[in-house]
Amino acid sequence: MRLRISFAMTIVFLLLSLTSLAQESHVGNLVGNAKKGKALYQRYCIFCHGEYGDGRGDSAPYLDPKPRDFTKATFKCRSTPSGTLPLDSDLYDTISRGVHASGMPSWKPLTRQDRVDLVAYIKGFSLRFQEEKPGAPVVIPPEPSTSPESVKRGAELFQSMNCWLCHGKEGRGNGPSASSLTDSKGNPITPFDLSSGSRFKCGESDQGLFRDLTTGIDGTPMPAFADALKPDQIWDVVHYIHTLRASNKSQRSQPQAEPKPE
Amino acid sequence: MQPKYILGVIAAALVLTLVTYVPAGAADAGAAGSLKGTAKIEGSTLKPSRIDMSSDPNCAKAHSSPATTEDVVIGANNGLANVIIYVADGLGDHTFEPPTQPAVIEQKGCQYKPHVLALQANQKLDVVNSDATTHNIHPLPTNNREWNRTQPHGLPIEESFAREEIAIPVKCNIHPWMHGYIAVFKHPYFAVTDKDGNFDLKDLPPGTYTIKAWQEKLGTQSQKITVGTGESKTVEFVFKAGS
Amino acid sequence: MGNATVNRVGTQLLLLATLLAVVRPAYAIPAFARKYGLPCSACHQAWPMLNNFGQTFKDNGYQLGNDRDAPIYQQPAYWPIMFRTTPNWHRESNDRVAVDKVSGQVSSGLLETTISPSGFDLSGLDIITAGTLSKNISFFVQPFIGASGGTSISQTWVRLDNLFGSQWLNVKMGKFELDEMISQERILTLNNTGAAYFNYFFTPPGDSNIFRGIGNTQLGVEVSGHSDNDYTRYSVSVLSSNDGQTGLPAGNTYDVYANFAQAVEIPKLGLQRVGVYGYFGQSPTFFQTNGGHPIPGAGIGNRSFYRAGAYGQWYVGKFDFQTFYLHGYDNVFLGNAVPANQPSLLPAGAAAPTWNGGFVEAHYTYNPRLIGIGRYELIRMSRQANPSIRSNSGNLDTWTIGYRWYPIMNPRAGLAWVQEFSRIVNAGTAPVSGKDDISNSFLMGLDFDF
Repeated sequence: MRLRISFAMTIVFLLLSLTSLAQESHVGNLVGNAKKGKALYQRYCIFCHGEYGDGRGDSAPYLDPKPRDFTKATFKCRSTPSGTLPLDSDLYDTISRGVHASGMPSWKPLTRQDRVDLVAYIKGFSLRFQEEKPGAPVVIPPEPSTSPESVKRGAELFQSMNCWLCHGKEGRGNGPSASSLTDSKGNPITPFDLSSGSRFKCGESDQGLFRDLTTGIDGTPMPAFADALKPDQIWDVVHYIHTLRASNKSQRSQPQAEPKPE
Repeated sequence: MQPKYILGVIAAALVLTLVTYVPAGAADAGAAGSLKGTAKIEGSTLKPSRIDMSSDPNCAKAHSSPATTEDVVIGANNGLANVIIYVADGLGDHTFEPPTQPAVIEQKGCQYKPHVLALQANQKLDVVNSDATTHNIHPLPTNNREWNRTQPHGLPIEESFAREEIAIPVKCNIHPWMHGYIAVFKHPYFAVTDKDGNFDLKDLPPGTYTIKAWQEKLGTQSQKITVGTGESKTVEFVFKAGS
Repeated sequence: MGNATVNRVGTQLLLLATLLAVVRPAYAIPAFARKYGLPCSACHQAWPMLNNFGQTFKDNGYQLGNDRDAPIYQQPAYWPIMFRTTPNWHRESNDRVAVDKVSGQVSSGLLETTISPSGFDLSGLDIITAGTLSKNISFFVQPFIGASGGTSISQTWVRLDNLFGSQWLNVKMGKFELDEMISQERILTLNNTGAAYFNYFFTPPGDSNIFRGIGNTQLGVEVSGHSDNDYTRYSVSVLSSNDGQTGLPAGNTYDVYANFAQAVEIPKLGLQRVGVYGYFGQSPTFFQTNGGHPIPGAGIGNRSFYRAGAYGQWYVGKFDFQTFYLHGYDNVFLGNAVPANQPSLLPAGAAAPTWNGGFVEAHYTYNPRLIGIGRYELIRMSRQANPSIRSNSGNLDTWTIGYRWYPIMNPRAGLAWVQEFSRIVNAGTAPVSGKDDISNSFLMGLDFDF
């Protein structure tokens, strides 16, 4: 009897473990495999992100900002609403692009298949990826060309939405609340200096900026403006932000396009 | 082991499971008791400090005299406000449907009202901004999803939390002095003390319970209470200042 | 193969099997690793061999491009220096060494015998300091201290990276390794026979060409560029015809080296890369003299030579292969060591020597901390410099097998336990009998860097 029960238990256990191992990822027509992703993670990622994906790798104490804790499934760069899971392609894009002004480099030199495999493995660090579906991705409408009226509306929104309290009246990241800001792990964090250019954490294009404003940057004080502002209003804010750039004293007339996917 | 013996064991296990299984929410409603009481603080010389809201004139304007911190609020007879009293143990494996009535947290005068809110898992939470300024509502849970949404005056926001957590800190990053807590329970047997530290847990089914009292700075206290059929018990939690 | 050899092989296999059972996957130039917190395995297939991420880092000017590259972001105590050396035990064996028939008696005549010295030894010490002087200006300085003393400079260069904001334009100046995807500097084997790609250093016997091979570091200027993910790369170098020797000892001519590579991702297999390269130069065949003595820097009578070919890097799961082909040509005057102003000294039937060579090197990366290596290399002269030279003079075949095990891998330092064996057959070079001369080398040691 012992043999039969343990055999049954083995079957059950195998089935269970298969379902949890069946973490896959899909980006374009590529399918990622978590087992291959694990070998890649241990070669490339483990020293910062840690053996358990909790952002507590050996190098983490020496890094600022800290590496992402995958166990919380809270990600900065998403095309999905705040608090929801990112799409596989969001994670793939973050791996490919890297995160500006952080220790996360661009992993484009890895093959596309390698990056998709890594996404599959990373999803395995949090049960949320098994329990929840990703949020509905934000639709980014085409950017209207800028105009003095748009900039003016954007400036008013920058004031009324209280952006200035953190980002400062000139967008230099020195607003009255800036020094009190901490990320969701309690580490001090500074708001982006909008006068410095367009090296945002989640990409440099205007479309990326629209997306960041809409979905917020989870894990940081930057909230989502999806409920508060309509798409036209978000473009107005984008146009106003252009004028904050030190290199850009005059208004920009051409929208900056999204770079081609590699 | 013989095959027919196994069958007996399985059958017995099935019967036992059925016997102990109780359908959802089937508390002994007819003979419910209640638990009243107070949370107090002893030996405290703590005084709330003033909050400087000058960074946002719309916040400062809302207060004729400066607002004060709310992490320890002491009322009449050393009563402690904003203490969550709840059943930690003793309800068995019941599941409880969340109420249809939403819980409400309001941003008023650039502070959270109530400062501590308790609700049930999956119960609707309405977030209200009554201020003439834009807030962002940013809960920082460890056992629930983290989200962060901007809320200008008047825009309704609706959310919920799926898992029990006592308690989720909530902040507004734009206004760094704003702190609040949201506690999420799997069951409806919780209460938050009023400004004088009083609470009333009505409709508590008879049983033996571990009752806990949680205060954001002073920690958690615990007591074992037995509530008989229709009985009304009184209990006091005393927090020591500096504990 | 006697019983002793079988036992030794058996023991090695057992050791290997034990290693395979206990190695945990990795995490583990430490100066770069220290700067970014990445483990060695991020940039190196198995150090020192680079993977594509590391090659891209190198081509970007030792920058990750994450706004944390300039030295100003480092703690002031960070100093971009590392060293590497390998204490070892090795055994060399040469089967046809000419020895006096009676030891000490010249008159007894010579016979050929096998000589097999062995013992503990040191490799030389490589010191490397490299990184960024500021954003988009990178540098590399590599002194080398020989195990018996004697220092030299292997490389010293500065590179202006990403000129005009483009990764397609980078300019390097100094003494540097030639841009080769299969790098001699980062070869995985260290033993006396297998520590060099023979094709990178081969010149036919008796050839007077100052240039001794694309494996030597050279002096000059390199313009290079690459795509985002390093799949497309090019470089063009202009080099002094000095074979990298400082002090202007040769003539005033310049050589050109170019390399072009293209990689493509094959679904289910991995990255595959092919490239073509060529080194085209001139070397002086004689010098201006003073009182009969050659004046350094006054080399004239320049005659041309080239080394050109193609290579590939193929990744198939845990295996990867490197294939290399070279065609060599030296002018007839160089090949016969005759000054160009005295053509009458050329022997009858003199010709420009040419040769073909290549190698295949295979790796099996069990995990980032255990790699197995196998290589076969050959050179075949296709035309000798003159008819009196036997047709197989200079031909060689060599095999290498080995493995590297990295017990630790962290961003601060590296350590590898290595065992390797190489065997070479030099055609017809036995000093007495004129038969093929066979040598082999066995090395085991601890290759470490900090």
